[in-house]
Amino acid sequence: MALIPLAAHVDGDFVLKLVQVDTDHTMDEVAAAAAVNAVGIHVPEQPGRTMRVRKQGAAAPYERTDTVEKVGLTPTECVEIYFE
Amino acid sequence: MALLERSQWYDIARSTEWTPRYVTQDELFPPELSGGEGLPDDIWASYDEPYKISYREYVDIQRQKDAGAYSVKAALERSDLYNKADPGWISILKEHYAAVALVEYGASFQESRFIRWSKAPGMRNMATFGMLDEIRHGQIQLFFPHEYVNKDRQFEWSHAAMWSDNWVALGARHFFDDVMMTRDALSTSIFANFSFETGFTNLQFIGLSGDAANAGDFTFSKLIQSIQSDEARHAQLGTPLLQMLIENGQKEEAQKKIDIAFWRSYRLFTILSGIPMDYYVPLEVREASFKEFMEEWIVTQFMRSLEDLGLSKPWYWDIFIRDISEHHHGQQLGTYSWRPTLWWDPAAGVSPEERDWLEEKYPGWNDTFGKVWDVMIDNFVHGRTEKTVPGTLPVICNVSQLPIVGTPSQTLRDISLVHEGRRYHFASEVDKWIFEDDPERYRHHKNLVDRFLGGDIQPADLGGALEYMGLGRVGPGGDDAHGFAWLDSYRKQLATTG
Repeated sequence: MALIPLAAHVDGDFVLKLVQVDTDHTMDEVAAAAAVNAVGIHVPEQPGRTMRVRKQGAAAPYERTDTVEKVGLTPTECVEIYFE
Repeated sequence: MALLERSQWYDIARSTEWTPRYVTQDELFPPELSGGEGLPDDIWASYDEPYKISYREYVDIQRQKDAGAYSVKAALERSDLYNKADPGWISILKEHYAAVALVEYGASFQESRFIRWSKAPGMRNMATFGMLDEIRHGQIQLFFPHEYVNKDRQFEWSHAAMWSDNWVALGARHFFDDVMMTRDALSTSIFANFSFETGFTNLQFIGLSGDAANAGDFTFSKLIQSIQSDEARHAQLGTPLLQMLIENGQKEEAQKKIDIAFWRSYRLFTILSGIPMDYYVPLEVREASFKEFMEEWIVTQFMRSLEDLGLSKPWYWDIFIRDISEHHHGQQLGTYSWRPTLWWDPAAGVSPEERDWLEEKYPGWNDTFGKVWDVMIDNFVHGRTEKTVPGTLPVICNVSQLPIVGTPSQTLRDISLVHEGRRYHFASEVDKWIFEDDPERYRHHKNLVDRFLGGDIQPADLGGALEYMGLGRVGPGGDDAHGFAWLDSYRKQLATTG
């Protein structure tokens, strides 16, 4: 369990933002952490839709319950967060 | 005493040179400071400066220029421009002076290094005048904003910004240190004089001059015209050296120096020129869009000067052409969103009328960048002010030192690499190419986010970052230039539609 900074690209945003998460956090928790400074700030809220996380450029998202440690993200690596 | 005509003595004086007997040529002109490796020793005497002037003539002309600029300032001091001008225009002055004045002083050291280290006697002679030019530019651009300090303390940044770790200052210093302060004399004259000054000072000093006059700021208009008349002269210092490189089989090296400097200059000027031209200049007095200025001064004129030398467009030309329609819009969103981190008060520039103008100049703006503004405007008009400034930092490019931005849902993406165990982020493929070409030059620098993550900034939050950047300590930070008055029309729309 350790803090790890990531570069968050929330779909619809204009800028990559720094987000601090924990290696134990699930992808749902990563999405929620990234949303704090993007959704409702620069990206419209989309109630009822699930946010998913994927490696930049990947077609498929990570499993929602996978942890940061499990998927092997490294410090400041970029993840894409999008509404499913 | 009768004086000789310049033409009767100039060539003898400029070609006077000495042959070192007690030291070697390389000890007198160390390659790492002088440059020009691989060029024949006898080539330097052939440097033919594009302009010729004597010290007596120089002093007389400069005295007249100063008299012109200072007399306009004195005549208009009572016109109370500060209170009459649009606040967006005042913000341009704050941004400009703080970003430029001390850099000009640094440029006098750049020219001083030519005077000592250039192997071409003609260049050493002309760089002496370039050095005096830059001292004048530093002094005059500190003196003029000083008039406003007692009206608005943000003008204190004119002198303070470049000594601070404000993120814009970090970006500007990183750029100017790279192109102006840390390369050999020959390379510097191509990076700074040919690429930066020839292309981009035109953009800032001529482009903004027209807007200044239209905005009623004849003092600033006259000032920057006066400065540009010097820039246009000493910017030519690098051209004969470029010709030497090309004629001696080093065309590829010459092209690369230009390609690096051109991109780095362009990206910095998206902040210094792009944002002000398209968002701060009052709509009714805008001469042209940033893109139109870029097309006139850079795409057409600067590229013509490259072609005249037999050089090519930079390899990333297609990327550049796309970029001039989008990058500065992202930077405007970023600077406005993180407005407390600025030393000036940014204008939003997105009233309904201004959005129409943006859409006309940049078709598709409303469906991309405009959608982000829609969310911000919705927060403002509903009083959700806590949602109008992000609580984290943007990811910052390790070359340009600017936030990594892009067109929403189209071009925003991270470009990164891991070098010796450290991940570096880049705002474009070009920035990455610049880094990879010379990683030793760039890899040690820590951008603002690196410092934040490395524990240099405490407390590790936005407040700590503001303190680190000097906001509220060196001088006041930024807020909306117009006191959010531009939102009134949106509030009326909301009241009408419910």
